[in-house]
Amino acid sequence: MFRTIVKIAWASLRRRTTRSLMVVTMICLSLWGLFLMEGIYDGMTEQMIANAIRSDSGHVSLFGQGYRLDASLDNRIKGSDTAKLEKFLDSDPRISSWVKRLKQQGLVATAHYSRNTVISGVNLRREKGHGRLEDYLVQGEYGFGRQAKGAIIGFKLAEKLKVSIGGKIILTAQDLHSEVTATALRVTGIIKTNNLRLDETTVFMDIAAARKFLGVEHGVTQVAVMLRDNQQTAGFQAGLRQAFSRLEVLRWDEMYPALLQSRVIMNGFSLVVSLMIFGIAGIGILGVMLVSVLERVREFGIMLAIGTGFGRLRAIIMTESLLMGVTGFLAGAFCGWLSLLYFKIYGLDLTVFSAAFNEFGMDAVTHAIIRPDYFVNAFVSIIFAVLVSMFFSLRILRKSKPIEVINEI
Amino acid sequence: MTPVMTEFLQIRQISKLYQPDKEVEVPALDNINLSIEKGEFVVISGPSGSGKTTLLNIIGGLDLPTEGQIILDGKLLTGLAERELAGIRRDHIGFVFQAYNLLPVLTARENIEYVMKLQGRSREKCRARSLMVAEKLGIASLLDKLPHQLSGGQQQRVAVARAVAPTPKLVLADEPTANLDSKSAAALIDMMEKLNREEGVTIIFSSHDPLVIAKARRSVVLKDGKLVTDICE
Repeated sequence: MFRTIVKIAWASLRRRTTRSLMVVTMICLSLWGLFLMEGIYDGMTEQMIANAIRSDSGHVSLFGQGYRLDASLDNRIKGSDTAKLEKFLDSDPRISSWVKRLKQQGLVATAHYSRNTVISGVNLRREKGHGRLEDYLVQGEYGFGRQAKGAIIGFKLAEKLKVSIGGKIILTAQDLHSEVTATALRVTGIIKTNNLRLDETTVFMDIAAARKFLGVEHGVTQVAVMLRDNQQTAGFQAGLRQAFSRLEVLRWDEMYPALLQSRVIMNGFSLVVSLMIFGIAGIGILGVMLVSVLERVREFGIMLAIGTGFGRLRAIIMTESLLMGVTGFLAGAFCGWLSLLYFKIYGLDLTVFSAAFNEFGMDAVTHAIIRPDYFVNAFVSIIFAVLVSMFFSLRILRKSKPIEVINEI
Repeated sequence: MTPVMTEFLQIRQISKLYQPDKEVEVPALDNINLSIEKGEFVVISGPSGSGKTTLLNIIGGLDLPTEGQIILDGKLLTGLAERELAGIRRDHIGFVFQAYNLLPVLTARENIEYVMKLQGRSREKCRARSLMVAEKLGIASLLDKLPHQLSGGQQQRVAVARAVAPTPKLVLADEPTANLDSKSAAALIDMMEKLNREEGVTIIFSSHDPLVIAKARRSVVLKDGKLVTDICE
């Protein structure tokens, strides 16, 4: 009987080929577009998160007690804690890399312009292996020169200071003893991390030079840790908090809550997308099924008269709706997956809008993400739309009193 | 009321009132009483609007009487739920309609096998039975054709095959020859009579064609919803 039901459903769809194809195409195109939007928007969000993790926070960052509220060198991670911490980090197999940074707020100036800045003393070799800082370099070289008198600065800061490679900058800051101190550096590199905080304010200098400049012999202000598996972040954070109760241990999303919000927005967006799919598929299928049912009241009447139960009619209508919905879904999912795969590998180049993207700290080239959720959510929406459209179609059929129609010649 | 088990089909005090709106009542059947034995070949005749179709629909459970009872093979049909009636139509009653009413997307063979499949018979049994009935009705060569590829007479023979193939207890045919020429009509009634004899199936059909009526062994005449004559051969 199943074959007969499928045959009747299939033949009914074929009888209205153009209409059926239009609905399938409509579902396919809607899904295709929506998968693309989801994958690319997700890609943008994840790239922003990845940039923040790589360039600054790591998966977890450690700070001295009170440093987050008062970024003073007095609140740094002291030398004794640093040694213990280094030993701990070197022995934990969950960690892929970690770096120490010595940061201080100050002023950066050229002959004509000055800006607030965050001076960040780093070890470039370790940073390279940690967050691939070198990959963010857009001008100059990845180094501080032979005498460690160079600086790598964010591209936005460079624009504001109107300074280029080889240009001289003066750093002024308060040292450990609350004395104002200054040093002159040459810009050796300009980076573009798309982490707005870094690109607009940070000046990277050699950590040893920074110690000398700020008068800090021991200790650091931040230790950033990168994990092999980001799923372990929360557990790792809890372990660190237990082991180093005198330190503040923050996850990346605690340091960059706005980025986490982007993810939340993305989830909301996915929900809206699912509702849109449900609406589009539902209206399309419902329209075709209503017409199809109304055209075939007599046919259904014959079936009922010769002993077909209403459940079988439900099965026929459901099969028709499912054939359209699932075909549209499969076509849309295939096109969407193929396009997302392309953009995942080659990226979506929106350099034309790079100025706008830069304002929001986003990459002009976005690599799409493909999550099974996209397809599962869309499929559930389609099935739901099929069931709703079937429900209305069956109601209309019942109201049409099909058995009475068969006596009309 | 407990049904009496002597007759195969009992039609007891059946009345039907149609009410197109609240203040208008149209009597379609008025206190019809009729008993039909197993294996009978009965024609219900009468002028247009006499209630033939209404009576057949009520016997077949396609319509509900305003009053009265239908008892088929000892089972009271009146008052059964639609689901149970569908089961009885599927297993015990075959229908032949004036307008053939074949399912347009199925071939002649699939139309004939449809009810048997609903009954849950195996594919092989459906095949064998549909072929046997089709041969009896002279349509074996047409089994793979779709309804729109067949003439009116051929379609009606497929409809008869569909009604008879599931081996029902009763076949109800509502003016099966109305859309056929006289030669095809006579041939169709002859075939139905042959099936009645060979398969032992009880057949009740309606008609107002004197040539067709003459072939029945029992003739029931309705007029204005009332039974006026009931003549056995």
